Amino acid sequence: MKNMQVNANKNSNLSLAGALVLAGGAALALSQYFIWIHAPVEVTMGLVQKIFYLHLPAAWWGMICFFIVFCASIGFLLRRSPAMDQLAASAAEIGLLYSTMALATGSLWARVSWNTWWTWDPRLSTALIMWFIYAGYLVLRQSIDNRRKMRMVAAVLGIMAFLNVPLVFLSARMWRSIHPAVFASEGGGLEPEMLTTVIVCVVSLGLLTAGLLMFRFRQKNIQERVLDLYRH
Amino acid sequence: MKCRPLALAAKDLRLVFADGAGIIQPVLLGLILVFVFSLSTPVGEEVPAQAAAAIFWLATSFAVILVFNTLYSLEGANQARIGLLLSPMPVQYIWMGKALSGLVLLLTAQIFFLPAIIVFLGQDLMVSWPGALGTILLIDWGLVAVGSLLGAMSQGHSARDSLLSVVVFPLLVPLLLAGISMGSFFLGEGTGGEPGSWLGLVLAFNALFTGAALVLFPFIYGEY
Repeated sequence: MKNMQVNANKNSNLSLAGALVLAGGAALALSQYFIWIHAPVEVTMGLVQKIFYLHLPAAWWGMICFFIVFCASIGFLLRRSPAMDQLAASAAEIGLLYSTMALATGSLWARVSWNTWWTWDPRLSTALIMWFIYAGYLVLRQSIDNRRKMRMVAAVLGIMAFLNVPLVFLSARMWRSIHPAVFASEGGGLEPEMLTTVIVCVVSLGLLTAGLLMFRFRQKNIQERVLDLYRH
Repeated sequence: MKCRPLALAAKDLRLVFADGAGIIQPVLLGLILVFVFSLSTPVGEEVPAQAAAAIFWLATSFAVILVFNTLYSLEGANQARIGLLLSPMPVQYIWMGKALSGLVLLLTAQIFFLPAIIVFLGQDLMVSWPGALGTILLIDWGLVAVGSLLGAMSQGHSARDSLLSVVVFPLLVPLLLAGISMGSFFLGEGTGGEPGSWLGLVLAFNALFTGAALVLFPFIYGEY
């Protein structure tokens, strides 16, 4: 009876993940209308500013994924549950993917706006350093054969990596900065149509992220069970 | 009980200095780095103070990796690590002992790096020796706090040097930026802002990661 309930829960999780991915995909398609038709073309930067609607959601969701790694890592150390470790690993992979997208789109945008592919800026530098840390985190997970040790070490690194974020940002800001503060001014530095478009893009990518995270988590869970079968 | 970390550090230092390789390796690597970077400027041109400070801290970062790999591999043979775990003291004392011995080894390596910066990179102006030495000590504290925690993590791994560098270097970025900025100030350039604000950042880093290490170390070292 209990097994049947577990299976039913797993199936409903899978359906939810599928629904989230489909909703995210549809919302992303809809967001193209907002990006290209609803939002006005920015006066100084022109069409290239449209990259912002991919850049900002990717950067935000990347950072949220890293926060999930942090929370799941604490959860693992407290409860020693492999599911927490699988969640942390899944979030790190998706966070790294989004960080890569944010860095690539940011670099393209910077080339046109600031006439440079890369500059020392708190947000850029923080994103790049976080990218390095979480790439190292994933390499570390692959490198340690002992799974118990790997989980423990990864959880510790997952916590340390996120603790470092404010310090990295602060140190990079003290170094120097030219990045625009999009939401710093009162009421935001964006036109209302642009703000609506940003919100639509953030929500769309959020739906997709939630679905992808659930799928990846499930894959990792199945992978673990298959490995357990092989090992026993 | 209070002296256990010191006893552990003394044991490690005796072993490292008796063998010699554990300290010669980071010193040699650091000196080579300083020398190679001296070739980056044309003959007759001076290396900027900020570049010199960056090279000094780069050499120190590589020394951190080598020093903590050496220190944690001391218990690698004959399962001596289990003996250390069974000893009647909190596991955090092991982190403390390793951090202390790491600090001594790092300062020893830096004794060689400082003259190398003066000789190879032509940095002969030091604004304040006590200030510079205090800065080095403070930044070294942060380096050994992180190094001693993560050094334990790569234990027993065949590619531990490269693994540790990939993980540790990005974590040390705030500390290295502070070191470079404050270093260039003490070398007479001072382009990277007020040393006082960097000092606050270094203290915050040290406090955060010392606290984190005390909490997290037993999770890493207890697993083998």
